[in-house]
Amino acid sequence: MIAGSLLLAATDGVGLGCGALAALACLTRVGRRRRLTRRRRLLAPHRADLIAVSAGEDSEGASLRALATAPRRAQAALAENVTGMLGKVRGLPAEQLVDLLREHDALDRARADLGHRSRVRRARATQLLGLSRDSSAVEALLPALDDRSPEVRASAAYALGLIGDPRAAGPLLRATGSPGGGLPAGLAAEALLGMGVGISDALGQGLRDPDPRARTVAAHLCGAGSFTRPRPILRELLAGDPDLTVRETCAVALGRIGRTEDAEALARHTEAEHPLPLRRVCAAALGELADPTAAPTLAALLHDPDPRLAELAAAALVRFGPAGRHALDAADHRGPVRSALTLARLQGALP
Amino acid sequence: MAVSMQEGIRVLVADDDPDIRELVEFKLAQAGYAVTAVPDGAAAWAAFESDPPALAVLDVMMPGLSGFDVLRKIRESDSPRVPVLMLSAKSRDSDVDTGFAIGAADYVIKPFSPRELLHRVNTMLARTR
Repeated sequence: MIAGSLLLAATDGVGLGCGALAALACLTRVGRRRRLTRRRRLLAPHRADLIAVSAGEDSEGASLRALATAPRRAQAALAENVTGMLGKVRGLPAEQLVDLLREHDALDRARADLGHRSRVRRARATQLLGLSRDSSAVEALLPALDDRSPEVRASAAYALGLIGDPRAAGPLLRATGSPGGGLPAGLAAEALLGMGVGISDALGQGLRDPDPRARTVAAHLCGAGSFTRPRPILRELLAGDPDLTVRETCAVALGRIGRTEDAEALARHTEAEHPLPLRRVCAAALGELADPTAAPTLAALLHDPDPRLAELAAAALVRFGPAGRHALDAADHRGPVRSALTLARLQGALP
Repeated sequence: MAVSMQEGIRVLVADDDPDIRELVEFKLAQAGYAVTAVPDGAAAWAAFESDPPALAVLDVMMPGLSGFDVLRKIRESDSPRVPVLMLSAKSRDSDVDTGFAIGAADYVIKPFSPRELLHRVNTMLARTR
């Protein structure tokens, strides 16, 4: 009897809970729809002017003036639409849209929001400041690289990449290795690549960072952007960095930079005393350099007990032209050499 | 579907983003083109099939048929030579390669300059005339 009553009460409780959840979902949906409708209503009188400015069809400036004098109640909705538009257009229209945001104090509000307790507000603020491409926002954005929220950190890196000011290069590199979880290496690298040659000094410092993640990103960027000045540090880390990934990344970078003066260092690290992954990377990097003095080193690797290393050496020799072909002709055309030659023929590198 | 008729050179614009659709439509219409703007790939293909335009501007990522799907259909249609400009946020080399491999005449990456887009449209149409 008691068990039956308890079961009935539990069933009622579950039913009430489900009902409450369904009601909450409905209310949320209705609320969202009402907000959207209100936003559309507020935007409607300004939409044509916004499209004209965004399309670069406002030579007289009439649309921009009309938007600048939009009523205060419409400005938040307008700022949201303008921010969205900034991710879609560039050139003069984008500059005019940023001026409009400045006029409506949206950029000042975004700076203030960088310290807001809501991570959504902080992330939106970084996004807006990034899309404004305003160099004066760099200082304000840098602390967001160490934000407690990974989304805000990622958004700040993206924003700094959009602004493209090399002053942010050092902090971005350091953020990849910060103790609070850091910034994903790919995000930092993408942001840094857009900053151009101005990041050269920061890369040199990044290669000396105590954290291996920062050193790896810096080494990767040296290769990706063909930064030649840090080559001595790359060679030094290739020889003695305690982290194998850093050493491998330095080898790849030296290959990509493509200076024949680095062939000797790469050749030395194909020797059997070094870790196998590093030897393989160095053999491939020698192929990038295609320096004839490295041909004997690679020819010797054709007989290495590791078939992958032998194959990489053969593929590298294919890239050397006649000097490499001579070494390959003299080698035993079985196993790794044959597969490398077949692959080269398929890729059109050999007749 | 929004249609504006001006000088009679018809351009089809397909993009599921209303901001981009409206601004490209506006930009091209201001330049005198007759623009048909649609919000997805299926509508783009339907518009193309019913009356092939002089040029099409297609977004890549659209619900249903993608811009690449529409481009493939155009190249297999009775009007295979209509120039197609892909307008996309997909900016990887492999995306651009795919676009050109299946027959795009041009590929513009978002964010884009509306002015540059207009120049490209003008140039492509001048070449085909």
